Parts: sequence; structure tokens; C-alpha cells
Amino acid sequence: MKTVFLGNFGARPGVWEAILAKTTEKLDVSVLFDLGDSQCLIPALAEAEIVVSHIWKKDFPEAPRVKLLQSVAAGIDMIDVPSLPRGVTVCNVAGHEQAIAEYVILTALAWHHRLIDIAASFRGGVWSTGGGAGGGPTHGEILGKTIGIVGYGKIGREVARRAVGFGCRVIGANRSPIADKGDASEIYPLTELDRMLPLCDVVVIAAGLGPETTRLIDAHRLGLMKSAAFLINIGRAGIVDEEALYTALKDNKIGGAAIDVWWQYPTPDQPNRHGSRLPFHELPNVILTPHCSSATDGARDRRFSTVAGNLDRYVRGEKLNNIVLQT
Amino acid sequence: MKALFLGGVAADTHAGIKDELPPGLTSAVIGEPIDRSKLPDAALDADILVSNHWRADYPPAPKLRLVQSVATGTELFDLAALPKGCAVCNSFGHETAIAEYVVMAMLALHHRFFQISGEFRERGSWATSWVQSGKPHGEVRGTTLGIVGYGRVGREVARRAAPFGCRILAANRSPRERDPEVERVYPLTELDRMLPECDTVAICTALGPETTGLITAHRLALMKPTAFLINIARGQVIDEDALYAALSGNKLGGAAIDVWWQYPSQNDPTRRGSRHPFHELPNVIVTPHNSGWTAGMVRRRWDEIADNIGRFARGDSLINLVTKT
Repeated sequence: MKTVFLGNFGARPGVWEAILAKTTEKLDVSVLFDLGDSQCLIPALAEAEIVVSHIWKKDFPEAPRVKLLQSVAAGIDMIDVPSLPRGVTVCNVAGHEQAIAEYVILTALAWHHRLIDIAASFRGGVWSTGGGAGGGPTHGEILGKTIGIVGYGKIGREVARRAVGFGCRVIGANRSPIADKGDASEIYPLTELDRMLPLCDVVVIAAGLGPETTRLIDAHRLGLMKSAAFLINIGRAGIVDEEALYTALKDNKIGGAAIDVWWQYPTPDQPNRHGSRLPFHELPNVILTPHCSSATDGARDRRFSTVAGNLDRYVRGEKLNNIVLQT
Repeated sequence: MKALFLGGVAADTHAGIKDELPPGLTSAVIGEPIDRSKLPDAALDADILVSNHWRADYPPAPKLRLVQSVATGTELFDLAALPKGCAVCNSFGHETAIAEYVVMAMLALHHRFFQISGEFRERGSWATSWVQSGKPHGEVRGTTLGIVGYGRVGREVARRAAPFGCRILAANRSPRERDPEVERVYPLTELDRMLPECDTVAICTALGPETTGLITAHRLALMKPTAFLINIARGQVIDEDALYAALSGNKLGGAAIDVWWQYPSQNDPTRRGSRHPFHELPNVIVTPHNSGWTAGMVRRRWDEIADNIGRFARGDSLINLVTKT
């Protein structure tokens, strides 16, 4: 079965080999990292029945035989669905949700406990940034706090499960109605997000990027949040208005933010490019990470198992898992 | 009836609870620094002492019947210097805050949080991101957490860690009933069987004869070379030299240290917490003995102290009784 691993994630050294090592069925595999290499891309897509990639571009060459597009990521925002041939099943992967939920709880705790400030100044010999032995000010805790999750899917449920263990109240907002709330106490329709935001001490952006969520968190909605609220974005940067968030943080209209997903990414020319054209990295009330909340060893292992399992299932003619859509 | 609030924390406590104290109770407050000239009069007719200490050279306090500690540890009260028949009570309210710290430290260590967020802020490094071929970091799901000292703090840690999918073991001096989230509670004498199993070890025990120097070089060597050690108990539970050697020699994955072997003094306010430069090690999170020092803890502790003073005034049974002199 002709299978091509494509792009800077699926065809990355270490990734495709690890996925193949988990498969049991025989595959005829080619690997193409550089999507700009049309000399290789044209013949590869002409023959492939299975494509493992998180990207499908409008200008991709003909791919008449492809039946399965298996992403190695959860979001399909880099897949241009209209330009896919008819009859393609697009599948994504899960297994990242537990890792991201850990990141959400970690950053919520680190913010309330002022961990970064206290640990950094204590490293410099100052006892009084934290209270206790140094007699400094107290810090916060998450016990009794309200966590609002925008986009109550797999990640939201995993966050809720963990947060209730800390005595947090969890609420959420979701585009489509939710039958099983899990550990959340209330789920608002996304259209009523403005009623939820003022209640939250922590707001977690866990939605996918789509027409309803693009720039969903704008200056007005940031203004609805508590002045001490903490915003965590592990969804997609495009959900949050870049300038409005920068201004809100700089002017202390909200308490702080943890940002893992960015409005711009490094390029081969600019490997250390900042994630925004605005200097978020100079703000003291921001925790910044390089789109790595899901980059745990466990999440990779779970994702690779999901991909390998689906490749085997396709070859055997069995029902696929994690189907997102069919063209 | 009279209460003496003695010391800085006690003075803050008085300010926080004065409206909740029983009518008819008078209070003497001697804050920090302690004015010894006021102490004889204040102590002479006090029924209640609220403080974190009592020294042998303090003037007589013959009427004392309730000694209410503003902390959990009562080791700074010289019990022999107190009159016979005193109830000594301590206070809590810190266990949930400390449990948050333990889980936070465990997450931060496994996720390499300081390294990743620090390098991204300082140098714009995306090296750990999926967009570059970064080495994945760890997660706590599926790892084994060993809790040494399964008391109030330990239980709260277990409750919070369980939903992460951690396997939880514990070791305790006295037999403890096992909560459902804990797979096994070892006797402390069998600690050496628990340590090799753990990816994270959290020291949550009180300091006492059985726990002083409990974590020796030998026991550190029993731990996995990738394991993380978190200490929120007392510095003296761990052998200072051995821990520094293990961390600087990469015999352990890392540590989060909140409690220290030495503390600042008035003459030396920036004194380091150890004679070894733990603060220079990249794999160590250092905090100034403040894991429990949250606004919520202070409020909960004040509530407990006000409650106990009210109970004493009404002649009801006391909470948090440690001992009677």
C-alpha cells in the first residue's frame, strides 16, 4: 500500500520511523520532508493511497488515489479541505489532551503561587519575595477558584477532571451542545460566552480555530474578564486578538496570561523569531512557552500509536478511528 | 479572661480575628520585635497564649491553660517552662496550599518548565517546540509518586495527583488507612522498598527522631537517576551534603526545595538556605519556605485559632490538641 509521510511533522526524522515501528501491516513507504520539492512531491502524490501529514495545501499536485489523509496533529486548520480530492477520509490524532491538561494546571498553579518570580528572586538570595520564612507577602492558591474553558472538548474534560481535585469550580462554553458535562458544573453555549467570562478566575482557550472562534477573544471580551483573571491559550493564537491581549496585559486589565500558541512562527531564516510582532516576552505577567504544551514523551507515544493503528486498520479494511471528515 | 498574642505572626493573627473573639476577653498584643519590658505584666494574668514560641527565660505565666500555636510545628515552645495543665494546640490550614505546591513542583520538574519558558523568553528558543525537532519533555501521567509521611499534607497531595493518572505510593511511621487513590502505604521502616519505584518523591513528613536525616546518601542512591525529589517538610529530613552531591552529580533528575538547613537572621538577612550552592544548580527549583504561605492559608488558620479560643472560653472541647503539660 503506497504511503507517503509528508511535511515537517509527519516526515520528520524520528517521527515516521517511530510510527512505522508501531505498525504491523506491510506498507510501501516514501518520506518527503520538504513540501517545496515538487520534483518529489508530484510522483509521490500521484501514487499515494495513504498520506500522513498535518498539511494539505491548495497548490498540491494531483493526488488521484489518496483515500486516507492521516494527520499527526489534532488541529486540521492547516489542511485545505476544498482542495482535497473526493472520497478522502481525514483523520486526526488525540492523546495530547492529557499532556495539555497538565500544562493548564501547571500554569494556573505557577501563576497563583507566583512561582517564577519567587523562585527567581530566591535564586538571587532574596527571601522576602515569598512569605513564610522571609516574612514577605502571601501568594495565591487555586482552591475555590473558577476555571472557565472555552471549547469544552477532550482537553477541557481532562482539565476539568484534574481541576476539581484542587477544589476548583469548572465551567465551560462550547459551540455545540454538550450532553455529558464530565466534571464541569455548567456549559454555556458559545453565543453566551459573555455571561461566562466575568465569572472566571482562569480562562482556558481550548477551542479549535474556525470561523466562529477566529478573534473570539477581542478587546471587549477581555474587558469582561475579572481584572485579576489569568488567560491560558493552548488552542490557537488566532482565537485571541493579538493587539487587544497585549494591551490588556501591559495595562494590567487582566492579571496575566500563559501563552503556548503564537501568531507567528520561526522560519528557516529566523529560527529565533518571537511568536508575536508585539513584545509579549518583555511583559512580567506572561508565561511564554514555544508551542510545546503537548510535546511530551507520553503524548507523542499515544499519537504515534493512534496513527499506526489507523494505518493498520485501513490496510485491513477495518473501520478507522478519529475520523474528522470525509470529502 | 485574657489572651496574650506574642510575636509578629500572633500580632497579625490578632488583627485578623479581633472581631471574632469572645466578648469579655481582653487581649494583650506584643508584636515583633518583642518588647521584653512589657512581657511580665502581660504574662502574669494571661489565660491564653497565642504565639509560635515560649522560652525558658520568659517571666512566669501561672494562669495559662491554653497555648495556641500559630503554626503547625510546636518545637519552639519550651513545654517545661509552661505551667502544668496547659492544653497545647497547633493550627493547620496550610495543607491544601502545600499540596498545590507539591503538584505544581512535580509538574514543573517533569515538564522542564523553567528551562523551556526561560529559554523561550530570554533567547526566543523554539528548540522544544513541535515546530522544531525538540526533545519531548515529560508528563506526570503514568508516573509513580511516592509520598513520604502520609499525614494531612500527604493526603491532600494524593487527592490532587490521582486525577492526573499517577500511581501513588506512600510511607508512614504509624499505620495509616489507605485511601482509594493510594496503591500502598509502606511502613517507614520499609521506605527502601518504595524509593526505587518512584519517579517523584515528595517529603511531607514531620521532623522527629525517626525522620531526622531520613533521606541519606544511601536512600538517594536507591532512587531512579531520573527521579525528582520535592521537600516541603523540614530541611533536616534530608542529608544536606548527600543531596547536593546527588543533584550536582546528576544522580537525580532534579529537585524542588522549599525548606532549608539554615535560615536568614537579623544580622544576615540574605543568608543562603544551605552551605552548598543549590541555587546554582539548573535542575533545582528553590523557594523560600513559603509553599503554604497563601492568603487562603492565613485566613483558614485565623479561623481555626478564633474557633479554638471561642471553644476554650465556652468550656467546649478543643481542636488540634497536640499535648497537655
